[in-house]
Amino acid sequence: MIRAARTAPGADLARLGDLGLLAMLTGLAAVLTVAMVLQYVDGELPCPLCLLQRVALFGVCFGLIRHFRPDDRGRGVGVALLGALSLLVIAGRQTLLDICPRPGHEYVGDAVLGLHMPVWSVLIALAVIAALAAQVAVVGGTAEGRVPSPRLVRVAGYVGLYVLTLCALNLVSAILQCGLGACHTDGYRMLGSAAAAFARL
Amino acid sequence: MVLCFAAMTAALGALYGGRGRLAVAALALCFALSTGLFLFEIDSPVDGFRMPWLRG
Repeated sequence: MIRAARTAPGADLARLGDLGLLAMLTGLAAVLTVAMVLQYVDGELPCPLCLLQRVALFGVCFGLIRHFRPDDRGRGVGVALLGALSLLVIAGRQTLLDICPRPGHEYVGDAVLGLHMPVWSVLIALAVIAALAAQVAVVGGTAEGRVPSPRLVRVAGYVGLYVLTLCALNLVSAILQCGLGACHTDGYRMLGSAAAAFARL
Repeated sequence: MVLCFAAMTAALGALYGGRGRLAVAALALCFALSTGLFLFEIDSPVDGFRMPWLRG
């Protein structure tokens, strides 16, 4: 009688946890993509706090990508948690800044499904923190020497490369919008300077 | 802001390239720069860090 190969229940749970983290990474990459689309297709330039929230999201992605690297030992989840906490602080502050209607202080950009971007960021931060806490509570820490399945590592590598590309695009975008000074939402500072210089020729 | 994104891009690039310590150093730099920039952005010449409008 051929007995089916069995894996330890802990290994199945760890694999499920890895899948959950990969899904989270992919979801956050999608959120950052939507932010870029709204910026360049709808012309909604991000404010400085909005840009800092993108940095925090990239920080969460860093931690999640780190999880799939060799010899992570649970540190990736810790880094992702720090990123999510940073996102919560920045987004929470921006929400409180604009939550009371007053002259000169409205939410930047259009509402998506009735909520503005900083409120969405608060919800995303809380969801990431809750998911990572559940991950650690249910799956536990990463045992020394344990690596995720090669297939998941490969997919995480592709998603990680996409996140890196997104971050590089955001860097170029920040240079165009802000130059080396403050970031304003009324236009791309470097493009305006280039156009003015060209007009003088 | 550009420096924050530059540090984060360097961190992600170093992580992808297998340079773990460089990645963590760049991430720490990004975090420090971002913290400073965040405090600068929320500091008001009138209210400081307080939010008096929340008292209603």
